[in-house]
Amino acid sequence: MTRLALEHVSFWYPATAAPALADVSLAVADGEVVALVGHVGAGASTLLLVAGDLAPRVLGGRLEGRVTCAGTATGAGRRGIVLPTPWTQLSGMASTVWDEVAFGPANLGWPKDEITRQVERALERLEITPLRARDPATLSGGELQRVIVAGILAMDPVLLLCDEPTAELDPAGARAVWRLLHATAREGRAVLVATSDLDAAAEVVDRVVWLEGGRVAGAGTRSLLAADAMCAAGLGTTVAGVWRAAGLAAPYPATLAEAVQRWG
Amino acid sequence: MSRLHPFTLLAVAAALPALAWILPAPAGGAGAAVVALGLAATAGARRGLWPALLTAAPFWVFLLMLHDVATTVTIGLRLTTMAASFVWVVAVLPPPRLVEAMVAAGWSARVAYLFAATLSAVPLFKARGQRLIDTQRCRGLSPRGGLASRLRALRALALPLILSALHEVDERALALETRGLAPGIRRTPLAPPRDRVGERVARWGLALGCAAALVWRIA
Repeated sequence: MTRLALEHVSFWYPATAAPALADVSLAVADGEVVALVGHVGAGASTLLLVAGDLAPRVLGGRLEGRVTCAGTATGAGRRGIVLPTPWTQLSGMASTVWDEVAFGPANLGWPKDEITRQVERALERLEITPLRARDPATLSGGELQRVIVAGILAMDPVLLLCDEPTAELDPAGARAVWRLLHATAREGRAVLVATSDLDAAAEVVDRVVWLEGGRVAGAGTRSLLAADAMCAAGLGTTVAGVWRAAGLAAPYPATLAEAVQRWG
Repeated sequence: MSRLHPFTLLAVAAALPALAWILPAPAGGAGAAVVALGLAATAGARRGLWPALLTAAPFWVFLLMLHDVATTVTIGLRLTTMAASFVWVVAVLPPPRLVEAMVAAGWSARVAYLFAATLSAVPLFKARGQRLIDTQRCRGLSPRGGLASRLRALRALALPLILSALHEVDERALALETRGLAPGIRRTPLAPPRDRVGERVARWGLALGCAAALVWRIA
């Protein structure tokens, strides 16, 4: 089932003449992870804000085209978005990590036992149960990032939007979050993630959308991350880049496993 | 003290300045100021008393420059009461408890959040200011020395402090929206503070006391 659909969407931030998104069409179905890749300023973050119903509703600006998200009429929590700076996403109204994760579910007016169930599950999935009694203000950037992701997951969103969710994490933490995104999609949710972690994306995502200057420059399966054009633009995976630089024949492998298979 | 219901703490913090302005000067203001400073002292010298005195001090200087001693004392004591009451309530009332109490009392979560955010703004600004001082020091700015160099440093600190706070407001608004702080849904109170009968009676007593003092003064 298509969860999110953008049809010919253009978006202008307030008091700007040039659109941040121009004629973007995109669909994300339940059960899949779609990566948005591109250079800084390509429009990936803006696309997430539009998909999350924050632009133009909260940010202002002008939207043309059509954005539809199936099944979100039942509550604000059905679309969850993780923004790139975890410290600005803290509620400021929680003295423990448990309370911080429960902030969203409580705002949705859920019964207490349901809140407890969702919070415990989210803490467990993000592997931060030992932090439950800590003051969020004392956490490291990586710990905070995971707390914020847990806070969004605890709201049980049907569509999960993530903007650079691994930016603050060490390699092990980043792998855990990617595994989580994959598992979340396999539970039937739709996941749209803007990322510059192309090597990890190549292992996890189902589809890739390449944005340039607010427009879709290309879309396809994860093998797009090993396409010659993307490698030339500096947006290919490390393995594909090395393969290309070595002058080996296309198509390039996107991941180490694929490269090993090709050599074998 | 911090075990008291948030509404009781707010009632005391509101009643003291009200009485300081209503009761005859200088005795009324002096009495209220002593109580307010005493309460601030219970929060600790560093968290309560010292910040209260530091907040009130500039007002005394300005008043002395503008008025005679008697007027300065009258208004100064009232302003000291206001400053000490605010500092005390910020020190002893955690914003999350206030939100829980307001939501349990039927207020919307958005209103409760806005109200509580004013209490949490002071420590947040302080922490941000300290980070900016460290940042500017790395760039060679010295916030110490004579008055002129301190004023120069203040200018270099104030602008980024205000601009970064304004920038963060946008991001925080987005984040709160994504975390369900939307109109039309009643937030579930997770751990509402207990509101004892004695405290409710005390709050009504404070309100009636202020009203009676006002009537007595007008009459």
